Amino acid sequence: MSLLDLPIFGALKSRMQFHNARQVVLAENVANAETPGYLARDVQRPDFARMVQGGPMRGPQQVTMPVRTDSMHLAGLPSANGLRQEEVRSFEITPEGNSVILEEEMMKMAQNQMDHQMATSIYSRGMALLRTAVGRSA
Amino acid sequence: MDIFASIKAAASGLRAQSGRMRVIAENIANANSTGQTPGADPYRRQIPVFKTELDRATGVTTVNMDRVAVDRSDFSTRFQPGHPAADDNGMVKVPNVTTLVESMDMREAQRSYEANLNVISATRRMVLRTLDILRA
Repeated sequence: MSLLDLPIFGALKSRMQFHNARQVVLAENVANAETPGYLARDVQRPDFARMVQGGPMRGPQQVTMPVRTDSMHLAGLPSANGLRQEEVRSFEITPEGNSVILEEEMMKMAQNQMDHQMATSIYSRGMALLRTAVGRSA
Repeated sequence: MDIFASIKAAASGLRAQSGRMRVIAENIANANSTGQTPGADPYRRQIPVFKTELDRATGVTTVNMDRVAVDRSDFSTRFQPGHPAADDNGMVKVPNVTTLVESMDMREAQRSYEANLNVISATRRMVLRTLDILRA
């Protein structure tokens, strides 16, 4: 087991993956803010607390992906990275059937960014801690 | 999913919104374009229609301007007997473009464009933040 297999690093890594995937979904929502019939989506939040406590990783890393051998192949399922997407229940749907609220998406994006920043900060703090442990000044 | 997929989605949004801007500009420019011969139809208002598309390479859903439809609403008329397009009663058909509606549409397109730009800069900040781990 290498140092970076510690549960905390695994959890942070999958947390960053979650924020990346969420950023992509939010970007899709904003891009389709005026497409008729488009329903806003979001990524389901995995249980990060269990990841930190529960020994070996059962996170998004261990998902088997089909290999793309042709440029016409689809890039796996949307949930191929182990994160599930869901349609959000919006309180407003326009007459053309679009449920994206631009302000809400921007708010989610700000939140997502802050959470991602927190994860990266904790990750580098953890690295500094390990560096101190192996005897080099951080 | 690759983080750059979000930039791709936002870029498709930018492209769609600027295409919409172009259609709006055409409408405003032709707000007074009447026909040439007596009783001929004037310029007909155009409406951009967006469509969701799946980008096969990245699996990201992008947006694209599907087609430019025409507004089927009726033309209004104006009494101007000396006009080359005037019919027997001296009425000239004028385009079904309302500049007020067009300028509201333009505002909306502008706002969506800005939102997509914000997405790109937010994604960029996230990538830079991840790269900062290397530097720490």
